[in-house]
Amino acid sequence: MEQPDQRLFQEDLMSAEYRAGVVRDLWGLPSLEVLPEGLTWPNVILWIAAAARPHAPERFYILLDAAGYRAVPPTGAFWDLSTRSQLDIAKRPKGKPGSRFARVFRTDWNNSAFYHPYDRVAAQSHPGWVKEQPHLLWTDCHTIVDYLEEFYSLLNSGDYLGT
Amino acid sequence: MTNQELEIFVHGCGRKPQVLIATPGDTLRIALVRTGFLKEGQNDILVFAGECDEALSEPDEIEEGADMHTPVDIDLSLEVLGIKQHHHVHCSPCRNIAVEVNFTGKTKRRRFSPSATVGVVAQWARKKFHLDPPTAAEYILQFCNSTDQPRSDKHLGELVREQCSLCFDLVKEITPQG
Repeated sequence: MEQPDQRLFQEDLMSAEYRAGVVRDLWGLPSLEVLPEGLTWPNVILWIAAAARPHAPERFYILLDAAGYRAVPPTGAFWDLSTRSQLDIAKRPKGKPGSRFARVFRTDWNNSAFYHPYDRVAAQSHPGWVKEQPHLLWTDCHTIVDYLEEFYSLLNSGDYLGT
Repeated sequence: MTNQELEIFVHGCGRKPQVLIATPGDTLRIALVRTGFLKEGQNDILVFAGECDEALSEPDEIEEGADMHTPVDIDLSLEVLGIKQHHHVHCSPCRNIAVEVNFTGKTKRRRFSPSATVGVVAQWARKKFHLDPPTAAEYILQFCNSTDQPRSDKHLGELVREQCSLCFDLVKEITPQG
């Protein structure tokens, strides 16, 4: 039987806002056959489209732990479908030095989470962000669409250099 | 959903967008009554088809411009109105929305269609304030006297409350530190 957090997540995948992003190829779920065996809730794999850059993929996959959704944000990192493991640091998207992009996707912190208030692990270990970035404070009104739109914007910004 | 059915995204004032399933032969009124965005016989709501981005092609010298996007006749069918699969429809009491954007002590104003997105307003504002393209995207819209920054895919008509107007500050995104 689905847990309440899983049910909410599934409901949000049916929402107009999520669907509108899917039909525009901004984000989506990978096909079932490429998912690792035994992937169960609260783990979810999604993809996010990225701006075209030489030798870089058109989309990045992320593996999220969405336990407690929507009361708390998900946490996760880039995922490699071919190796069925976390994406190697060398293959992760790179940003202009000193940019917000480079900070969010930094590889010198915790490689299993994103350095962003929408990441549960990052948010819990940075209580000061509540005051510093109140606009990005995750609440139970936030959905996976807020998360995807935020990371889609970063991966399609001028600060994204490629891999 | 059959081949004849269309998936349409419906937006409205102060509520979450919804997916509407309809057939090309349905009138827009019937389809919207089914979603609850419109009451039976209601005629005080204007309905716009599509997402308006006229502001992005507006010449730079135009000050206080306005979208020409006109509401549709909801008693016509989706087919006649040219509403197709995955199109957006917006229901609003506002004919247009008076938007003010403040940046470095200056204000730019324009009247947008309720179906214009926050992303379109942000792009227009960055252009209007002549922000340097490589860094312009770091500047985003934040509601005046607030720390709320609406998502770029939100339609303006979803954000208005009692008045057909919105006020934003153009602010630089914060880089997480610590």
